[in-house]
Amino acid sequence: MTSSVAKTTARTTARRAGGLEPFTLISIAGVALFMIACLIPFWVILSGSFTDEQTLAGKGYSLLPHPFSLAAYKLIFTGPTLVSAYVASVFITLVGTALALSFTSGLSWVIARRLPYVSRPLAIFAYIPMLFSGGLVPLYLLVTQYLKLQNSYFAVILPLLVAPFLVFIQVSAFRQLPEEILDSARVDGAGELQIFFRIGLPLSKPILAVVGLFYAVHYWNEWFTALLFMSDVHKYPLPLLLQNLISNVSFSQMLPAAAQQTTPVYQLRLALTVVTIGPILLAYPFAQRYFVKGITLGATKG
Amino acid sequence: MTTRTPLRTSLRLGLLALPAVAFFLVFSYAPLAGLVVAFKEFDISKGIFGSPWNGLANFRYFFSSGDAQRILLNTIVLNVLFLAATLAAGVTLAIMLNEIRGRFFKRAAQSTIFFPYFVSPVVIAIMLQVLLSGPNGSGGVVNDALTGLGLPEVGWYTEPGPWPWILTFVKVWQLGGYMSVIFLAAITSIPEDVYEAGQIDGASRAQMALRITLPLLKPTAAVLLVLGVGRIFYGDFGTIYAIVGDNGTLFPTTDVIDTYVFRSLRQIGDFGTTAAIGLFQSVVGFVLVSTAVLIQRRYSKETSLL
Repeated sequence: MTSSVAKTTARTTARRAGGLEPFTLISIAGVALFMIACLIPFWVILSGSFTDEQTLAGKGYSLLPHPFSLAAYKLIFTGPTLVSAYVASVFITLVGTALALSFTSGLSWVIARRLPYVSRPLAIFAYIPMLFSGGLVPLYLLVTQYLKLQNSYFAVILPLLVAPFLVFIQVSAFRQLPEEILDSARVDGAGELQIFFRIGLPLSKPILAVVGLFYAVHYWNEWFTALLFMSDVHKYPLPLLLQNLISNVSFSQMLPAAAQQTTPVYQLRLALTVVTIGPILLAYPFAQRYFVKGITLGATKG
Repeated sequence: MTTRTPLRTSLRLGLLALPAVAFFLVFSYAPLAGLVVAFKEFDISKGIFGSPWNGLANFRYFFSSGDAQRILLNTIVLNVLFLAATLAAGVTLAIMLNEIRGRFFKRAAQSTIFFPYFVSPVVIAIMLQVLLSGPNGSGGVVNDALTGLGLPEVGWYTEPGPWPWILTFVKVWQLGGYMSVIFLAAITSIPEDVYEAGQIDGASRAQMALRITLPLLKPTAAVLLVLGVGRIFYGDFGTIYAIVGDNGTLFPTTDVIDTYVFRSLRQIGDFGTTAAIGLFQSVVGFVLVSTAVLIQRRYSKETSLL
């Protein structure tokens, strides 16, 4: 640290500088430990899903799939109910996310433009549901008695369509767009709606990805509304099917008739878990970057 | 721009908000009207507005049922545990991550610890079964480890005692990484010269973390605390119900308002009482969050939520 060059680098990286002090070592160990704790449950499930049923039942779970077996996966991809659960989840996620994203964008844009008489009341209107909600009973009565949506995928999609928290994330992102660009479009004679569709949205792709991903994960994992409003086994989304496999309720209805005598129950449970996490795992490397951006935006803007 | 936009443009642009407004009216505001069920002897054939009033009978019934005390206590205890543990884990992980210099390791670490946030409660429930009970109700990874150490096996799913801690553990596992991202963002916004000053004074890494980073994370923690306090009467239904389900032996320590409401709605079909509990929950939650926001506002004006 004697040369001036070294000094400047030391200054600019002050919070990183210094040797490997005990505190740094403890930190690395702590983070590594948490990483392992995050990974082990996934690994045990993955390995179990490839382990022969008899071994699972007899010896329990292990870290290596031995003897190796694909029985559960074969069952999943031949059983009609399991495939239909996948279809249900994909439908709910795609349609739900598309609707949620467009509703949220429209509302957020209007709030973000700070229009007189409109923006502030709308913001308050969207904020109140965060503080005060009717709770389960009124929602249940609304969906079952008035909207009659039982056993429709829309019973899962609609009640969760717009999340106030994500509205506010998107508002603060829309407000960061440079006003000059919008103004120049106005000078060129573009209408307000044109500005939103042709300039606002295309410039906001990153935040649309963030908010869209939040919605997609939330729909993919959603099972509470499904539990409340879906009673037809053939329309169950994946998480609800999984939940039923845990409690073994109406289990036999979900499998192809021929397979029932030798059903690898434990293995199947794990394989279905893997299949449920699968798409998230595939999207993860792409999704995580945007998620971090979204949370940080939400956290700093409140 | 505000001054140049005439009312007419405002209203035309306002059309964009219409679908979302319709959503909030139907799914957030209309159910508020449905809360009158709490004051009614609800009869599904007569509908919400045709059922006869019964005053505060539903509330009285709930509070005298003997369940009230238990589920309120459980709700508060669990939420306080969750909130304290996830905040602590988030701060600790963020400070630890901040110590890591290797770019690759840091990125890998962040990706890994963030992943549980994406996992459905149902999947978490299955993981817990794998870890705690084994395929046929005995054994499991944790019990295998216990017997390996010469300790007796524990029948986790018949033992209500440890569950508040197990659930807290789950919450930390699920949200630790998520929280750490928030705190890490706050750490990166701490001005560099504060650390330079610390370094000149000869502070060690540990001292800088404890004396500089930790105190400067307080405002962020306060915001998260306020948000958490507002939710203190909500039981995190998804996770708890997915894990505990209808396993009655665990209710003494795990039954919370939301799971109780769900069960009484499903099994008993008592709409009046469950609506009353829901209303109680909303009112108390609202009072709590307002108080928390006001207190927080008094102490730190800049970081306030509203």
